[in-house]
Amino acid sequence: MNELIKKAVALLESDSVQVIIGYAEGTGTRTRAIFITRTADCENLIFDSRCVQNLAVYLTKSEIKKLGKPAIVAPIPVLRSILQLAVENQITENDLVVLGITPQSELVDFESFAAIEAFLSTHQIVIEEKYQETIREIKAMPVTERFAYWVKELEPCFKCYACRAACPLCYCTRCTVDNNQPQWISVASHPLGNLEWHIMRAMHLAGRCTDCEACYNACPMSIPIHLLTKNMLQDVTENFGTYGPSLDKLNTLSSFKPDDKESFIR
Amino acid sequence: MSKIGVFICHCGENINATVDCARVAKTAGELEGVEYSIDYKYMCSDPGQTLIKQAIKEKGLTGVVVGSCSPRMHEPTFRKACQEAGLNPFMCEMANLREHCSWVHDKNEATTQKAIDLVRTLVEKVKLNKPLYSIKVPVTKTALVIGGGIAGIQASLDIANAGHQVILVEKDPSIGGHMSQLSETFPTLDCSQCILTPRMVEVAQHPNIKLLTYAELEKLEGSIGNFKATIRKKAKSIDENLCNGCGTCTTKCPTKKIPSEFNTGLGTRTAIYVPFPQAVPNKPVIDKENCSYYQKGKCKVCEKVCPTGAIRFDQEDELVEIEVGAVVIATGFNIMQPSEFPEYGYGKYKDVITGLQFERLASASGPTLGEIRRPSDGKIPEKIVFVACAGSRDPAKGIPYCSKICCMYTAKHAMLYQHKVHHGKSYIFYMDIRAAGKNYEEFVRRAIVDDEVNYIRGRVSKIYEENGKLIVRGVDTLLNAKPVEIEADMVVLASAAIANPGAEELAQKMHVSYDSYHFFSEAHPKLKPVETNTAGIFLAGACQAPKDIPETVSQASGAASKAIILFSKDELSRDPLIAVVNRSPAPVFSTCVGCFMCASACPYQAIGEELITNRQGKVIKKVAKVNPGLCQGCGTCVAFCRSKSIDIQGYSNEQMCAEVVALLNND
Amino acid sequence: MTEFEPKIIAFVCNWCTYAGADLTGTSRIKYAQNVKIVRFPCTGRIDFMLLLKSFGEGADGIIVSGCHPNDCHYTSGNFHARRRWIMFRGLLDMLGIDVRRIQYSWVSAAEGAKWADIVNSTVNTIRELGPYTEYEKVAGYLEKEAKQ
Repeated sequence: MNELIKKAVALLESDSVQVIIGYAEGTGTRTRAIFITRTADCENLIFDSRCVQNLAVYLTKSEIKKLGKPAIVAPIPVLRSILQLAVENQITENDLVVLGITPQSELVDFESFAAIEAFLSTHQIVIEEKYQETIREIKAMPVTERFAYWVKELEPCFKCYACRAACPLCYCTRCTVDNNQPQWISVASHPLGNLEWHIMRAMHLAGRCTDCEACYNACPMSIPIHLLTKNMLQDVTENFGTYGPSLDKLNTLSSFKPDDKESFIR
Repeated sequence: MSKIGVFICHCGENINATVDCARVAKTAGELEGVEYSIDYKYMCSDPGQTLIKQAIKEKGLTGVVVGSCSPRMHEPTFRKACQEAGLNPFMCEMANLREHCSWVHDKNEATTQKAIDLVRTLVEKVKLNKPLYSIKVPVTKTALVIGGGIAGIQASLDIANAGHQVILVEKDPSIGGHMSQLSETFPTLDCSQCILTPRMVEVAQHPNIKLLTYAELEKLEGSIGNFKATIRKKAKSIDENLCNGCGTCTTKCPTKKIPSEFNTGLGTRTAIYVPFPQAVPNKPVIDKENCSYYQKGKCKVCEKVCPTGAIRFDQEDELVEIEVGAVVIATGFNIMQPSEFPEYGYGKYKDVITGLQFERLASASGPTLGEIRRPSDGKIPEKIVFVACAGSRDPAKGIPYCSKICCMYTAKHAMLYQHKVHHGKSYIFYMDIRAAGKNYEEFVRRAIVDDEVNYIRGRVSKIYEENGKLIVRGVDTLLNAKPVEIEADMVVLASAAIANPGAEELAQKMHVSYDSYHFFSEAHPKLKPVETNTAGIFLAGACQAPKDIPETVSQASGAASKAIILFSKDELSRDPLIAVVNRSPAPVFSTCVGCFMCASACPYQAIGEELITNRQGKVIKKVAKVNPGLCQGCGTCVAFCRSKSIDIQGYSNEQMCAEVVALLNND
Repeated sequence: MTEFEPKIIAFVCNWCTYAGADLTGTSRIKYAQNVKIVRFPCTGRIDFMLLLKSFGEGADGIIVSGCHPNDCHYTSGNFHARRRWIMFRGLLDMLGIDVRRIQYSWVSAAEGAKWADIVNSTVNTIRELGPYTEYEKVAGYLEKEAKQ
């Protein structure tokens, strides 16, 4: 990715940006996020198929914001998050330079968020068949069995909130789980607390989640919480039409159609 | 520490018959934070209220729970009592022990237990209540009236005569509406224009009325007392100040074959036109769609002949912002195009016309100067058939409701025809004759008896042309369903009255509700027939449902009086049960992260931005801010806020949570 | 053995269902005591977290009710609520939380009889389903901890 490094150097040298958010080699075969403020460090930038962490999460972090205007290495999941953050008024076009990366690992410039949206329209979110199958299997269980399944799946959760920390859309300064007036959900990592936390997390991502799987990748216990958001994405598509962040569309849950269809209200 | 007083009302025997009120009071008295608890026969009576007031003063109560009837009944009563005793009225809550308990359950242990649960729940809520203070909103004493038909005219004149400013917006080049198209009016047969045009002139000359014709509402923001309306003044292509209405341009305009809207297509007009001779204002507009200059770049005849140089081809639409305190919607109705009923042959046969077209034929100022001549060849029809309910009361193909005015105007049409064509024969196919109204039944009788109009009770199944005649096939249900066939020269369809196209869009712009037929909805079908669900917006005339003229005028005066009542005070007092965005110490300032999902969900555009700056004026944070003048307190934003940074006073997160916990923990 | 008495909490809007339930009262239509109402300004205000909290606090069933579509006192609160419920219901269903325990309904201020019917039929449904022991078991960890 010489081209990426060259671009990063140019951006820092011209002082167009003050920090490059990108990927670098981590421990073992893993990669990590890197925040480069000096041109000399740019050679550490890499990009390959191992780079799955969603760097967009750093765009809203005050520690990173302090470093100055960023350029961000943005493969498709990051682009989707950037667009959603734009819809939610968290970033503006002047706040950052986007170093887009196509699925063919080609560097691509984006002049505007609208350009990102145009690009993403040809790369729609697709829930992989294997996940669809898993979701179908879970839904096919009798309701008590399904509940038991999830209670068991969520049992290892010890509320480390890595899922929250990894999610680019969990940018609240105070999470409701940390609110004790009132105490909305039980903070302890017992079954009720775990269940409530994951329901709340999923609901807060309803109509917003861009299916980057950062939450699942971050979970030290590999709890399949991404199945909840994937299921939700399917529900959004099924009930309200196609899904994906869009600059001129309102968020799924903060908008409505008078003829939204449901079958359960008496 | 909370010092709550609990007051359990027997409501005579209404509550006490099934609920053990004494036990409810005793149990409530044992709840933590309850200082005083008592039951009494009638809490809402003077002695009952005195009981509450004394307890507030003597026990130093910080909150009150009255267990009695529905808060929708007596909440204002008890809050006022608290206020009189020096307790903030919003520190009083009511447990609904009557409508929700004693009246719906039998006398037993579970009923008393439920009453205890309800009281305990409200005690827990009231512990978290905070003193709130009414919000004062100044009132802009100007009314916006949308629609310049008889409803809008009447409402405007009433409000203006009460001394308030009115801005009357009309989408067409002239005010007058459908009433100006009518020939004579039932049940008196006085000429419609003769009674209407003086009113139109009065509007134009009234010092308190500003008339904006050829204009439409673009946007409405704000709320009762303080609306901001954006009006689109469509380009008329003339300078209204220079134009003196001489009419030279309209006579010289070479494009003359445009079907006249005013004459319902039965006459023509020019491209630069005044819709009808008595138009107000009597100044032309250029119809760009049909003007040679706008379409082909050549002509400009009007500009050449205009003696005052008033033509402005480069004029553009103009947006004007106005501030008003109240809005009267008077946008009227439309008629259903009978082409949706192919069996009637409307559109196929020139001599099958609508009732509104007949009005133009019968009108002295119409295309035939009041002579009934059929459109195809101008002959006077010898036999004429009127079809009532052409679309109305037809759930299958038309509209299920009754259009209300057709029975009367059809009788009038037949009568006018008989008066003008003495030897002619007229027939009316009808389902029922609905003539409820002052002198209405007598009017229909006159048509039948004096003018010998033939009423046939039955429906028309088909109309077709044969040998230059329109064959009307129907059935007479009063003669054992005998088939009837009439060879007519002309057929008039009483087509259904429907909502105006665009009514739905207009309703959404103003945030008022509308029914499934797209008529605007009144706030209450009986007791608030002129109000909408949005405070400060009122309804007049057929935009709410089909209406005749006297009904429309009464409603318009009703709507006007509502606006005048609103304008009678300088300030409005509003409930403080509104949303607020939290504040916290620096460096957080507020837990709001500014995603503004609340703003996009708010039905009232009440949520804006607030920039939090440091001492140097640098923006540190952008957060949501609720405009207390606009917020109506629905709380939709609260349920949206992921970080619980926005909350609603009186129904706060803490209060609602406390209620849930208290209600469910009764073991 | 005493019969199981379901604990049902009802979240209703002030303008339609609360008034509808008032009408049930003025019409003297009888219904089961199991349902107790919490008043909200609008269905738009009803946070899904409160529904979750209700199960955590031991509710066997929940009724959520407000104005019919197009009748919302605040024009669109119920439309927003409907979308939220569609999503929330889908999520709960995926998690195996029995969605039959939540009855959503539109009850207008004129539908006193409908309110009684909603209450009675919900009580019957929950009676058939029995106490929500699965959830209580999960929530039970709380109590055990508190006791220790």
